[in-house]
Amino acid sequence: MNSIMPLIRNETVKVWKKKRFLVVIAVLLVLIPVFTYAQMKISLSNRESFTDWRLQLQQKITDYQNQLSSERIPEEWKRYRRIAVQQMQYYLDHNVNPDSPNAVTFTRGFMDASVSMFIPLLVLAIASDLVSGERSTGTMKMLLTRPVRRWKILLSKFIALTLYVSLLLLTTVVLSYLIAGLVFGYGGWSLPVFTGFVVHGSEVDSSAVHPVPQWMYLLMMTGLVWISAMTIACLALMVSVLVRSTAASIVTMMAAIIAGSILSAMASSWESAKYIFSVNLELTNYLAGSPPPIDGMNLLFSLAVLGFWAVSALIVSFTVFTKQDMLN
Amino acid sequence: MRRGTLLWRTIGFISLVSTLLFLCGFGIALKDIIAPSDRTPFYADNEAESGSGSGAGASQVIRVTALGDSLTKGTGDSKGEGYVKQSVKLMEDKYDKPVKLMNNLAINGLRADQLNDKLTNDKGFRLAVSEADIILMTIGGNDLFQYAQGQGEEEGDDEDVQRSAGRSGELSLEELQENMTEGVKRLEHTIDLLNEINPKARVVYVGLYNPFYDVEDLRDGSIQVQEWNRQVYAVIHRYPNMRLVPTFDLFEANISRYLSSDHFHPNHEGYSAIAERIVQSLD
Repeated sequence: MNSIMPLIRNETVKVWKKKRFLVVIAVLLVLIPVFTYAQMKISLSNRESFTDWRLQLQQKITDYQNQLSSERIPEEWKRYRRIAVQQMQYYLDHNVNPDSPNAVTFTRGFMDASVSMFIPLLVLAIASDLVSGERSTGTMKMLLTRPVRRWKILLSKFIALTLYVSLLLLTTVVLSYLIAGLVFGYGGWSLPVFTGFVVHGSEVDSSAVHPVPQWMYLLMMTGLVWISAMTIACLALMVSVLVRSTAASIVTMMAAIIAGSILSAMASSWESAKYIFSVNLELTNYLAGSPPPIDGMNLLFSLAVLGFWAVSALIVSFTVFTKQDMLN
Repeated sequence: MRRGTLLWRTIGFISLVSTLLFLCGFGIALKDIIAPSDRTPFYADNEAESGSGSGAGASQVIRVTALGDSLTKGTGDSKGEGYVKQSVKLMEDKYDKPVKLMNNLAINGLRADQLNDKLTNDKGFRLAVSEADIILMTIGGNDLFQYAQGQGEEEGDDEDVQRSAGRSGELSLEELQENMTEGVKRLEHTIDLLNEINPKARVVYVGLYNPFYDVEDLRDGSIQVQEWNRQVYAVIHRYPNMRLVPTFDLFEANISRYLSSDHFHPNHEGYSAIAERIVQSLD
């Protein structure tokens, strides 16, 4: 323990000095205002046509119901619509606005939308060159000549990565809250959000539904996003150990993530796709009660899949890193 | 090196705290999803129910709500306006006031009993009706021409209606009679519900027409349609704020001009003819 603290400290400061994290913040600072602006446009046009959110929600429900009776819409979509209708109806019946415009709701939506692609991308920005970067610059040999066991070096990198993943999520939440608050106001922490919808086929069982305050919901959600992000971090670490160039390691990981999001959008017929990690990244769906991309998936299943991939990745990383020759 | 220490302490501390926070969040989420304990029933606060706030401004704007089936939805209008949006425009010209379509809550294939169910249970429907100054409605076509009870039960597809209407020749007179008695009863309930929710609104019910007037074998359907309209009028005339607007005559001589390609729903022109009628009927 004594000898690992300085190593972690060293790695943490090193990542910071490489200015990767500043890039992440810059990306957030550009993207969040863009989304805030888009969201503002939507709510402005809604306010123009609807005086009351209840009427607006009712209209949305009716529009969905009309789509349900259309022959051209695939059965798969109809299932999503049917579930969405039942959930919206629940909100309406309980007089709770599911998307009241405020910074917390925006943050919630932003995290929800970015869990499958955007957050992983940011994680990759930090994780991808942790090992491969040291190789291409040649500093790896310097590091390994120190009288420290190799596994400790990789462990310190992994812990530093964990710290940065948390910092990254915290920054995302704080920035989107602060920026969206300028437009939508900083309230909304205590608004009720319903959770506990259980989806059976295309029916929603709302017997377990209960309200939680929005801050609690956001906390739970970020916790789930953190698990997804950590899985990505573990895999990225592995790829970074295996592949020599940083670019190749980013491309490999991105390809896997994008493939997963395409798969989860289109393939419920290919059932074994549910064992792929990137199909399971959207853990927040289980909180909101959205139907999973493939039948038979639930929170525990997804956690098991993600956990399996993460642990395997770590085992591979440590085995390879401690055994391989550092040639170049 | 002091700066390095400070940097490390800051990053390390914030990250560690947020890691713990997220782990807590994850734990709570896990517990909440797998074994939700907090099942205290949620009581909605009805504070905003009556206070729609528009109060004084309300008289400045005429608020319209549309209810009903595919006709109100505007199916068949290539411009997507239907009679609802066209009547709103005409009303603006007529009253020289802003007219606002609050909601078009029409659902393809809707029957009167389904509408009653929504008007009884759906808060959104009740709210939309209660805040309207003018309510436009078409309903009953799917009740009347549904040729076996329970057939359209599943989703109330619009296609069902067209199919059954297309075979209305096969729909025996007895069945039609039965449908009519049942349908008028349902519609009576609809009318009562509307009056109960909002007794002040002006309600315009658009009467049925026979889309198969030009088909020799099906021309007699017009008599049934007319009988429906007569019975509905008997219900509607009890309330002085409600109107029945006839449309059957429009679709006799001009049937090819006014019907869309599905030979069932009106086209854009057909809907404008209906819209004109509606606005004429309003005081």
